Amino acid sequence: MALLLLFAMVIGLMLIGVPIAISLGLSSIIFLLIYSEGSLASIAQTLFSAFDGHYTLLAIPFFILASSFMSTGGVARRIIRFAIAVVGHFKGGLAIASVFACMMFAALSGSSPATVVAIGTIVIAGMRQVGYAKEFAAGVICNAGTLGILIPPSIVMVVYAAATDVSVGRMFLAGVFPGIIAGLMLMIGIYIYARYRGLPSQPWSGWSEILSSAGDAFWGLLLIVIILGGIYGGIFTPTEAAAVAAVYAFFIANFVYRDMGPLHRPGEDNNISLLQRPTSLLTVWFHDDTRKTLFEAGKLTIVLMFIIANALILKHVLTEERIPQMITEAILAAGFGPIMFLIVVNIILLIGGQFMEPSGLLVIVAPLVFPIAIELGIDPIHLGIIMVVNMEIGMITPPVGLNLFVTAGVAQMSVMGVVRAAAPWVGIMFIFLILVTYVPIISTFLPTALMGPEIITN
Amino acid sequence: MAKTETTRLDRLEETVIAVLLGLMTLITFANVVARYIFNSNILWALEATVFLFAWLVLLGASYCVKHSLHIGVDVVVRALPRGLQKLFSLAAVLACLAFSLLLLKGAWDYWSPFIGKRAFLETNDVPMPDFLQFLADWLNEGERYEKMPRFIPYFALPLGMAFLTLRFLETGWRILTGTQELVIAGHEAEELLEEATSASATDSENGRS
Repeated sequence: MALLLLFAMVIGLMLIGVPIAISLGLSSIIFLLIYSEGSLASIAQTLFSAFDGHYTLLAIPFFILASSFMSTGGVARRIIRFAIAVVGHFKGGLAIASVFACMMFAALSGSSPATVVAIGTIVIAGMRQVGYAKEFAAGVICNAGTLGILIPPSIVMVVYAAATDVSVGRMFLAGVFPGIIAGLMLMIGIYIYARYRGLPSQPWSGWSEILSSAGDAFWGLLLIVIILGGIYGGIFTPTEAAAVAAVYAFFIANFVYRDMGPLHRPGEDNNISLLQRPTSLLTVWFHDDTRKTLFEAGKLTIVLMFIIANALILKHVLTEERIPQMITEAILAAGFGPIMFLIVVNIILLIGGQFMEPSGLLVIVAPLVFPIAIELGIDPIHLGIIMVVNMEIGMITPPVGLNLFVTAGVAQMSVMGVVRAAAPWVGIMFIFLILVTYVPIISTFLPTALMGPEIITN
Repeated sequence: MAKTETTRLDRLEETVIAVLLGLMTLITFANVVARYIFNSNILWALEATVFLFAWLVLLGASYCVKHSLHIGVDVVVRALPRGLQKLFSLAAVLACLAFSLLLLKGAWDYWSPFIGKRAFLETNDVPMPDFLQFLADWLNEGERYEKMPRFIPYFALPLGMAFLTLRFLETGWRILTGTQELVIAGHEAEELLEEATSASATDSENGRS
């Protein structure tokens, strides 16, 4: 009963227009003051422990920063050129190339909206120029952008790992195959649609263009190797990998691509070389582009972490009240098998994902369903991937789908227009969700093969 | 006059946010470099980064209130007639104020012992800079701090909550006087759009081939 009141309070506050973070925090505080002995000081301590008690979460600001440098520094542009060179000559080639570009950018960035912005701003205009409908272009990008949180690195996976104490490295590996499969499914869907509708293809630009565009995109794509290789080679922790990625992206953006910073000059190929201005090695640290990019990334970090920190207060309340144990007992007593249970998890997450920001929702739901999943013999990594895919769908379904809003902004359409445009492709994501839910091997194969079988400690 | 002052304050806050995030990144990166190139660890790196992280988010939260960046559900309130919308937004601000005031009290209760009778408690690894040693005379009976005392990093809590309260009061006033409609951003679209247009502007500048 008290629990229902707690959730009713969260939802009620959210609906009258209180920020998500504060709805979570305030409801938890009121609940603690009424039903438990908790002092205000202990709540403040819980808030602070979101930072000094969860080292894993420290990876989030660094991944956001790396992604910011990648977007402003011209990496997206080079990835898109490479993608078009490779798959542009198919029917509907620009759309297929956009999905491919989203997959590659997803492998550099841990966020879906960031992927939509980085790739969408460039390709939506490009697709319209060759005569694709605006709705089609927006729908494709809106969906393909969600791969940002499925293909490693992924902020949502970092949050899941922090909430359930599974290894971030395993989660990242687990996302590789599902990410590729989801991307391929979207591409095949687009190809069939393009044949049916007779969408134009780009001319085959030849192997030389593939090679030269690959060479141009190489420095950006190398980041994937640094992140994944670094983590699995045991060179650094995921948090350190994220920080290294951010510093690497900073250097690539300022000194290799020079699309920002002291060596940037407006216009094609006007950027000057480091040799012409060696002092930029010093001035770059104080350059306004650096400050702006750091600030933009900082802003995103603050909004996201403030939600997560408050969700952690709510999680703290739930654990104090032994709610996870109660729910586990109730579900097990009801005789749910793994299949029924996963259906229920999917439904809860799909509904929750419509209203909540993904990371905040995961912090709350993961500890509730995790113990049940372990009891039922579901692999925690597999459960994590199911949750991530649910969050992807949540991002492209109304009323609160971050990707919808971002795509609306990028494509300059109304949000409702994007909702309609995205709907057919959401169907593909649903099929993909069912596939991932009931074929665990897709998620667990790679982490088990590379890191050995999962050892479940409870 | 007032306007230049707010923009100057904005710029200060933005720079603080940028510098905090930059420091976190550089310290963590430096630790990796130290481990592989110099074969030693920067002992205090992790703890210092974590504290900077807390400062970034707890102080930055108030900046994001000022610029309505915190995300929320706006479908319901946007569908309401104007008068009702104002009423709901005022209720939302009251809820926010309740949150920040309760946490301000909590933060103070939590923090004040660290500067009062437990002022001798130090962090695990973060060194104490010399120029702050005057605090030892004030609070620690003149005994020098070997490590940074805990009340310094923890100060982010009361300070952040105080700023948050101020910004919510300001938001309430703006909603009351009609210069602002909602507490929340509703979505990140505006900001991302701004980013996107500037990105596509530089892109057309570059004249993609």
